[in-house]
Amino acid sequence: MSVIEASAPAQESPPTRRPRRWKRHDVLAGYGFLTPWLIGFFALTAGPMLVSLYLSFTKYNLFGAPEWIGPDNYQLLLDDPKFHQAVKVTLTYVVIGTPVKLAAALAIAMLLNNSRRGQGFYRSLFYAPSLIGASVSIAIVWRAMFIDGGIVDRIGSGSGLDWGGWVGNPDLIMPMFVLLTTWQFGAPMVIFLAGLKQVPAELYEAAAVDGAGPWRKFVSITVPMLSPVIFFNLLLESVHAFQVFGSAYIISNGTGGPAGSSLFYTLYLYQRGFQDFRMGYASAMAWVLVLVVGLLTFVMFRTSNAWVHYGGDSR
Amino acid sequence: MKLNRARRITVLVTATAVMAGTAACGGNDSGGDSATGTISFTWWGGDDRAEKYQQAVALFEKANPDIKVKTSFTDFPNYWTARSTEAAGRALPDVMQMDLSYLREYSENGHLADLSQFSDIDTSGFDEAQLQAGTVDDELLGLSAGTNTFALFVNPALIEKAGVEPLPEDYTWEQYNDWILEVAAKGVKTEDGQPIVGSGDYRGALWIFIQWLVQKGVDPYTDDGQIAFTQDHIREWLALGEAPDTAKAFASASRTTQLKPKSPFLVSEQATELNWDNFTASYITDMDTEVELMPVPTGANGSKEMFWKPSMLLSISNNSEHKTAAAKLTDFLTTDPEVGKIFGNSRGVPSNQAQRDAVVSEEGSADALTTAYEKDVADSVTAETPIPIKGFGSLEATWLTLSEDLAYDKISPDEFVEQFWAEAQQATQ
Amino acid sequence: MKPRTRKLLGSFGWHLLALAIGVVVLYPGAWMLLSSFKPTHQIVGSVSLIPEHPTLDNFRTALAGIAGVSFWRFFGNSLLLAVGSVVGTVLSASVTAYAFARIDFPGRRLWFALMIGTLLLPFHVVIIPQYILFNNLGLVDTFVPLLIGKFLAAEAFFVFLMVQFMRGLPRELDEAAWIDGAGHWRIFRSITLPLMKPVLATASIFAFIWSWNDFFGPLLYLKNSDLYPLPVALRLFVDQTSTSDYGAQMAMAVLALAPVIIFFLVFQRYLIGGVATTGLKG
Repeated sequence: MSVIEASAPAQESPPTRRPRRWKRHDVLAGYGFLTPWLIGFFALTAGPMLVSLYLSFTKYNLFGAPEWIGPDNYQLLLDDPKFHQAVKVTLTYVVIGTPVKLAAALAIAMLLNNSRRGQGFYRSLFYAPSLIGASVSIAIVWRAMFIDGGIVDRIGSGSGLDWGGWVGNPDLIMPMFVLLTTWQFGAPMVIFLAGLKQVPAELYEAAAVDGAGPWRKFVSITVPMLSPVIFFNLLLESVHAFQVFGSAYIISNGTGGPAGSSLFYTLYLYQRGFQDFRMGYASAMAWVLVLVVGLLTFVMFRTSNAWVHYGGDSR
Repeated sequence: MKLNRARRITVLVTATAVMAGTAACGGNDSGGDSATGTISFTWWGGDDRAEKYQQAVALFEKANPDIKVKTSFTDFPNYWTARSTEAAGRALPDVMQMDLSYLREYSENGHLADLSQFSDIDTSGFDEAQLQAGTVDDELLGLSAGTNTFALFVNPALIEKAGVEPLPEDYTWEQYNDWILEVAAKGVKTEDGQPIVGSGDYRGALWIFIQWLVQKGVDPYTDDGQIAFTQDHIREWLALGEAPDTAKAFASASRTTQLKPKSPFLVSEQATELNWDNFTASYITDMDTEVELMPVPTGANGSKEMFWKPSMLLSISNNSEHKTAAAKLTDFLTTDPEVGKIFGNSRGVPSNQAQRDAVVSEEGSADALTTAYEKDVADSVTAETPIPIKGFGSLEATWLTLSEDLAYDKISPDEFVEQFWAEAQQATQ
Repeated sequence: MKPRTRKLLGSFGWHLLALAIGVVVLYPGAWMLLSSFKPTHQIVGSVSLIPEHPTLDNFRTALAGIAGVSFWRFFGNSLLLAVGSVVGTVLSASVTAYAFARIDFPGRRLWFALMIGTLLLPFHVVIIPQYILFNNLGLVDTFVPLLIGKFLAAEAFFVFLMVQFMRGLPRELDEAAWIDGAGHWRIFRSITLPLMKPVLATASIFAFIWSWNDFFGPLLYLKNSDLYPLPVALRLFVDQTSTSDYGAQMAMAVLALAPVIIFFLVFQRYLIGGVATTGLKG
């Protein structure tokens, strides 16, 4: 399936390892065309990453010079209750929010996957929140809807649920964020839909002949055939979920409250780095995040062989 | 030179950036004293203050045609993010509003100019204590624009509605607690069905804790800028509010969180609030009911031991190339009577005599209330201003978040103390 | 039941379900839009969507700006940043993609793998050094830090998108031009680029919308309220007015989102097509 294949830099180069002869003009042009990206890569990504690694072993507040303190920052992280809180909040969000969102996206993609009229209209309509979901405007609206006496509170008390405003309740703020991300199911849905269209109809017909019900068809045809797309969506959505910032900042006025229950990792990193100016500490946090996301990606790729089925024809 | 390491980092970053050619423009540390040209001036605050400063600056530019002032402003938390960054790049604005909580931090690294060296700044009209408050290591680094002190803001209409007697003029912390419990016990609700409470959890502000410490006769800080109070003091302070807290007599944490940026006091659900007296103006504007000011509770030794605190100072950066012009602006903004008239007491009661005299306050206005209050309590103001230590700004923020955790019962008072102490070790180093 | 009736019923049920989801999806947006016409005190508690006494006051307040900076100033800043991002992205990403997709040179596979790697990299690891770098160059409080990355193809998503697209383009034209003696630059400019219009459109739209919605970058790099784009200004609106004027805030939120919505309505075909074919998220 095109989705995953794309991430391998496939090219029609010979499989041999022999040194090959490059055409001089190709080499010149190649690096010529690549120059802007190379500058960007070294100046804005690779260089800063190394500096960040160095800073994570220092005490640095921008005022003075970075002062080498060895692994102290990482040590401090282990003992920092707010760090633990931030990890907890973020993991909860990733572990609950991502699957819920993807389940909604898949279910609705399957609903839309037919040739009825209006399908394209609904697809566009459902996609819209993905575009605006991360905007400040929506975060403000979300806050207004979920506060004391807001619309959700009213609906709650109307149906006998006295949950009050979710924004002020440490136990309900996470469900609220999960709802906010689930609401943006459109982007993965569009990808699922593209994947579903590539599942050969004959497979379903054959299964129907064998007397398989809808659930059976879903489990033994849809899921395996769709597994590369599921994998792709799962990977990207989790990575993005680790990095949520804007809505958390707006909804809690930058505090991560109430009582730290929306202290997302990135928000805490921002507070440490740009409000307390503990740049070394924040750098250590950033590197922990890189390692965790890297590890997650690695594990997902390693285990993917067990459950991701690539169509026989594409490789 | 101390900056060498920082420079080396810069070079490292810049080299990888393949931008070495442009790195030279790091900023000029030497400073200058040109009396003409364009200077920058920045402050934190809202709409109202912006308008007033703009008027004041226009007056200044008229009086000094050869100086142009470029102004900018932002909200308080982002103000400090911006200033720290500029400080790191040695590019602070020529003139800036300064907060007592951050004065030491900026003084330690030589970012601020000694204002006493400028002949254009006339300090004769200032109270000695206010000048002292802006002085660090014998250098006058911040000139107080206004003064404030703590007050208990009271909403008399709400007290009547709650069905309790008002607080007596002289009351102790314990009596205050009992009174808060009494309000809660009456169980009266507002039209919106919200319970009327006597007070918010006053333990949440670090400055109020300091006021209480001063009343106990404890100096909050050592002379060399270290914390002088102990963990036991914090424990005792937290225990002070435990009775109303357990009885749920304070404004609830979740209500307070959701009302932000308003507060339960502002929406008339809370009868009293301890706060700086320069909040009078915003309370009066935003509330459609009468507000009174009372002194703070009396401490254990029977006295109030209040102190004046500069509500904001003006500082000149050491990297300024137009220090003379900057000094002229600083002087103008803090001593000119016309400017005093524009601001009234909105920056705190003016620290400068000429400006104080220029404030015309209508009967019943916020300015009149603050002026009258400060006159009333002048006798109770017996303590010296505790000059915050380095890192105080971030300690204030830590204290606030921990208080929220405490209010939501996420941590125990012991954990509060432990976590605050750990932060304090980091922040004050 | 006749099969025809069953089919009709099924279709009816399907539309009903789809519409129900549509209502949930649209609700927050509709609520925001309609609230912006309500007086502030009727906004928070009100369950009904339709304003009883519609008013334009909120828009008047919002357009008046915040603390002396006019709304159009913020709007202009947002527009400048968004247009700058589009130009930078289209220029740099297409050139980079051409190198990856069409030129054979040593190290290409390595660079490509590294580029894909940056797709998954949490950007927080680079913000602190980037910040220090820009601060030392005296570029904080300018638009440069927000735009430079766009001109250096730092956003791997766009490069990837274009590489994907170019792989689908026939090579015959290139080869014909090659035989005619054209170099890579000429092939890129006169053959590849014109063929890339659809993907350039997709990239432009995404670049525009992302820049328009970006909050973190401006929050970090812009200190002067004159330079704020709309998202940061919106937050300022919450903080500065001590009375929380929900009405004006909603109006401003609506105004801030309007260009995104219009863009989406006009270009949604390109957008969703782009997302679906590359299999990447939006």
